[in-house]
Amino acid sequence: MIDHLTQPDSQILIKANKVNKIFPNGCHALKDVSLDIQRGEVVVIIGPSGSGKSTFLRTLNQLESISSGNILLDQVDLTDTRTDINAVRTEVGMVFQSFNLFPHKTALGNVMLAPMKVLNQSKEEAKQGARDLLYRVGLADRMNNYPSRLSGGQQQRVAIARSLAMKPKALLFDEPTSALDPEMVGEVLDVMKELAREGMTMVVVTHEMGFAREVADRVVFMEEGELVLEETPERFFHSEHPRLQRFLGQVL
Amino acid sequence: MQTQSSRWLGHGIYLVIMAILISGVYFAGQKIDYTWHWERLWPYIINTESHDIVAVTDGTAVVDASGRLSITPDYGDDPQIIERYDTLVSRNGDLIFQGDTVARIDGWRFGPIAEGLWVTIKISFISLIFAVLLGVMFGLMRVAHGQVWRNLAVTYVEVIRGTPLLVQIFIVYFFIGTVFDLDRFTAGVAALSIFTGAYVAEIVRAGIQSVPVGQMEAARSLGMNYVQAMAYVIMPQAIKRTLPPLAGQFINLIKDSSLVSVISITDLTKAGREVVSGSFAPFEVWFTVAALYLVVTGGLSLVIQRLEKRLSASD
Ligand SMILES: Nc1ncnc2c1ncn2[C@@H]1O[C@H](COP(=O)(O)OP(=O)(O)O)[C@@H](O)[C@H]1O
Ligand SMILES: [Mg+2]
Repeated sequence: MIDHLTQPDSQILIKANKVNKIFPNGCHALKDVSLDIQRGEVVVIIGPSGSGKSTFLRTLNQLESISSGNILLDQVDLTDTRTDINAVRTEVGMVFQSFNLFPHKTALGNVMLAPMKVLNQSKEEAKQGARDLLYRVGLADRMNNYPSRLSGGQQQRVAIARSLAMKPKALLFDEPTSALDPEMVGEVLDVMKELAREGMTMVVVTHEMGFAREVADRVVFMEEGELVLEETPERFFHSEHPRLQRFLGQVL
Repeated sequence: MQTQSSRWLGHGIYLVIMAILISGVYFAGQKIDYTWHWERLWPYIINTESHDIVAVTDGTAVVDASGRLSITPDYGDDPQIIERYDTLVSRNGDLIFQGDTVARIDGWRFGPIAEGLWVTIKISFISLIFAVLLGVMFGLMRVAHGQVWRNLAVTYVEVIRGTPLLVQIFIVYFFIGTVFDLDRFTAGVAALSIFTGAYVAEIVRAGIQSVPVGQMEAARSLGMNYVQAMAYVIMPQAIKRTLPPLAGQFINLIKDSSLVSVISITDLTKAGREVVSGSFAPFEVWFTVAALYLVVTGGLSLVIQRLEKRLSASD
């Protein structure tokens, strides 16, 4: 277990500091959210629907701009206008609830595209990397399939491989198993567990309490745009916090 | 679910209805006091008559030993040399006046209808390319983040869609054409491209907006910039969705091209009008012109259908 109080600051990969997000329609989706994420750490975020989990995750790779506060990635301020946001995004991968694979590309093509266009890898180099990654997520025999020919679980594993192809420093997961049939949840969680074991820094929004218990270094509870609680899994799931109790009572 | 037999029955009834319609047209044609002369049309499509070679100046015909014909002009200039001919009309030493037929060449040439068809194809094809360029450009501007771009694109689309093509052709030819010294053909191409481009822009915009926002987010979160995401992720999907409406727009373009005859471009329609007055066969000419338009539009439909098939590999 990483004790972040005694770690030097450079161990912190992502530092969110008093982040506020107010949407143009006036919705105050994030209220002074602060969270430090260490290198190699797995942080699971849980909370009711509409509590701002997705919004928070999306601010971490600037798919969503923030209204106030700041976010440091490897000590680079994302809110600084001089920061090259495209370069930042290559360092923070994102896996979406609805996969968002590119339907006009095969599994291999999906994984190869960004390395070729953004990292300027040669076609052979990108292909070799994509093959290795698809092999790692257990899709060696599905490389030339289009997404429409893949099951949800397979699509999500391609999406993970696609993010990994950019060799990110951290991966963000927004309810990666919520759109899946129950029998496919396991295969995706297994890939994520493997990544965690290999030391990937991960921020995971999920309702899979088992995953949180087993894999998370810390569990975060959000409600109504606030970060309510931040604990190790053992302490988290034994917490007497009334708002958390109410939420867990509803989902379990 | 349609059964096989009801499909065949449907085809059968269709054929009967078409046969009735066609024979109706045929008998209507018989009843009116009109003698059909389809054969008169041929020379206007492909002219197989030999054609005349005429003298350009007054002079004397000279046929040398090798059979080469030349005309030595009365005053100073270089002789007119005719290398290739099939029958000689003038003989060695004949006095020739300007405009005299001195020889003939056999073989066929295209008649005015075929030439008009070629002009229609050429003007449509060139306009199509520029219309696509304009349409993609303004379609992209329409969904761009900058308000200036969006306003410019909306203005273009609304102004062009809100005014008749015929008026636009006149404005382009008489006003813009005069300012920039454009010839008829260029003015015609410009008017058609600008007109069709506005519709293509709307089709492209709709195509881009039909791609789920998650696609742009996935592309951006992989580090692609806006242009890369558009080029490699959004547009390839948008184009596939825009092919059917684009096909319709391109077919309209071919038909709309008939309007350029008002600025004296001899396209298929104008050729038709000219041939009618020369051949005294108006029905035959207009049926033929309609059929030729159908062939061109049908060919284009076929090409786009093939393209659609190829792009649907990922479905
Ligand atoms: N683009 C948006 N515009 C306005 N309000 C939004 C937008 N996206 C999310 N919200 C609002 O922000 C709040 C948090 O949403 P979200 O982060 O999606 O919650 P969660 O992922 O926890 O379910 C919700 O009240 C939602 O309605
Ligand atoms: Mg969400």
